[in-house]
Amino acid sequence: MPDNDVIAAAKERLEQSGLPSTWLDIPVHWGVKAKEQATPENGGLRFQMLNVDVYGEVPEYWDNNTEIPRGAVPDTRTEQMGYSIFNKAEVWSDLCADLYEDAIADRWNSSADIPWDSLEPIGADLERAVCQIATLMSEYGWTKAQTTGRWLQEISYGYIEVKLFLGTVVFDAARMFEVWRKRALANGGGMGRGGRNWKFLPLTQSYTFSEFVVASIMHDSMLLTLLRRGEQLARTDAERRIYQLCEQDLERHLAYFVDHMRYLMLKEPVRREEIHRYMNKAEWYLAKDGDDTLYSALAVIMGDGREGAEEAMADVAELRREQIETYLGYLRQCHLADRQDRLNEELRKWAGMVELEEEEKIPV
Amino acid sequence: MVTADKLNELQLEPEAPELDLSWLNLDTVWGVSAEPGRKGLTLQQINKTIYGEIPTTSEDSSARPRGAAPPEGATPRMTPWVLGDATETFSDSAALLYDEAVSRQWSSATDIPWDTLDELPEDIERAMVQLCTSLTEVEFIAGDVPGKWLPRIAADHFESGLFLMSQVMDEARHTDVFRKRALANGGGLLLQGGGGGLRQILEAEDFTQMSSMLHILGEGFVQSLFRLGELIAHNEAEKRIFRLAAQDESRHVAYGVTHLKYTLEHEPEKAEEVHWTLDMFEDTLVDPDQANPGLAGALVYLLGDGDVDEGWRLFWHVRRKQVLEYLHRLDVAGLGGRLETGRLHPSLAGALDEN
Ligand SMILES: [Fe+2]
Ligand SMILES: [Fe+2]
Repeated sequence: MPDNDVIAAAKERLEQSGLPSTWLDIPVHWGVKAKEQATPENGGLRFQMLNVDVYGEVPEYWDNNTEIPRGAVPDTRTEQMGYSIFNKAEVWSDLCADLYEDAIADRWNSSADIPWDSLEPIGADLERAVCQIATLMSEYGWTKAQTTGRWLQEISYGYIEVKLFLGTVVFDAARMFEVWRKRALANGGGMGRGGRNWKFLPLTQSYTFSEFVVASIMHDSMLLTLLRRGEQLARTDAERRIYQLCEQDLERHLAYFVDHMRYLMLKEPVRREEIHRYMNKAEWYLAKDGDDTLYSALAVIMGDGREGAEEAMADVAELRREQIETYLGYLRQCHLADRQDRLNEELRKWAGMVELEEEEKIPV
Repeated sequence: MVTADKLNELQLEPEAPELDLSWLNLDTVWGVSAEPGRKGLTLQQINKTIYGEIPTTSEDSSARPRGAAPPEGATPRMTPWVLGDATETFSDSAALLYDEAVSRQWSSATDIPWDTLDELPEDIERAMVQLCTSLTEVEFIAGDVPGKWLPRIAADHFESGLFLMSQVMDEARHTDVFRKRALANGGGLLLQGGGGGLRQILEAEDFTQMSSMLHILGEGFVQSLFRLGELIAHNEAEKRIFRLAAQDESRHVAYGVTHLKYTLEHEPEKAEEVHWTLDMFEDTLVDPDQANPGLAGALVYLLGDGDVDEGWRLFWHVRRKQVLEYLHRLDVAGLGGRLETGRLHPSLAGALDEN
């Protein structure tokens, strides 16, 4: 319980000095003691432990356009800060606070955590192919950081957990950009050819956060499938480690994107058709990008040189099929199983799915 | 429901991508290698040959990394515009500061000795949670700002982009750690700060203006304060918070100073514009109407450990240090003379006369 005498005396001293004391009049939700849960076995003081009392109440609609911390008392003179997202369903996932702490616990350093000294000459074609893949990975890291970063100024403090987590996504993406650049420039190679970038437009052009999220689910799930083949693709321990670490980061990102989309579909099922439109767009751009550089470079690696590339294309096709399958699998997790029947025609071919006639469509 | 059997039955051979090996014969610079050094393989070590040459201007709004060959065929513009002039965003130290940021990440969950937070007298606990309420608020905006600018950084100037990405991460941690302190020890969040220049930083539409306000003056003041965190802290946990946050702020300030230096070396005519921005921002910072009613009172109260007169004395000691360090940073950036020419806001200049 507040000790009124101590506070009254403090107020008096401040006022005598001409200092504001109104902050001492604020009713404190006294007794919130997150430190009590913070034990080494619990992973220290994790953000989720703060979510007690009023501080853990995440409102469906947040009505303050300033940077006021959730649970603080407003100063009504504060200017609006231009946030545009005040709807919990648009950004929320219960996993954010934990994913944020996990990202920090999993942090790595491309300078010191990659066994760079394991790099050794791997032959001209393979080095070209690895550098080509590295160039495209860098591009994706850059795009991911830029397009995620721009949403920060849209999201209000009401959903602070989301913003903290997105901060880690930006940082992970920065590392993805630079670790692959390092790989390209460390082993006697150089940069390859940039991609056409049409496929990134659904990320850069998104008008709503959920649009950005579905485009991210598509790109990330395809990339994750590729990263999971690291064992097969890596020629050195350094590359193996890069694949593993990027995979671990991307899994966290997808965990959030998917859980958020599941939340949105449950809360606002009326948006299903709208979300399908965004997927139509994302898939269309991916299909029409028509840049086979990535898959050709993979074929050179899997075929152990350009001579074996043609034959390795069957393996690459299988990888691309898996990519689509992974994407659809994640969509099933967010109650978007019906995407299976609405997938872009070109991507259906990649996946080896039959072209469905209207009347044959499988009920889901 | 789609059964596995049904899917298998419908499965065709996946279509294979077309094999295109033209990228095996690019004329990008080839044959570069880099050896890891004492700190591993840093950005500095791969910034060699053409790959380390920073173009003074870049027209490329795509994600194509510096030195990569352009794609074949039609390509779209990714953003309507990027800040193509290096003078807009570049800093010679950005790569180094990014490397440092990556190696000095810390965890507010596990690197703060939360168990040292003992019960504090109620007035002190209230003052501390008020200070932390104001700080989590300030740090929140400090993360929004670099996020806003990220899409406008040219991939050719990726070092600045990477630095800003690391700042987004650092500020997330600061927003988080001050919220944690406010809610860890029996207090809670108190009065919103409101004003004090946050909006001015966010709304700036010129990168160098923004950076002068955020990195040099705003974070500069915050860093000077955090470095004196011993005066505010009552236990190891609080000391560690201020120490670790100060370390991060040093990088943010260093970026601002080196960016301004780079800009002024290449575009000395921009000096007056930056002076003008600082005139406005200093004015905002000391404007009594913009003052954060919680922040000043709580800070003085904590500095004096409840003795308000002693708190005031130490407040001016802090302010004097903030102003001296601010002027020094401007000197280093090549924007000296604000004090000598009488341009520094009188109430900041006045702080220099104190003790
Ligand atoms: Fe900060
Ligand atoms: Fe900062």
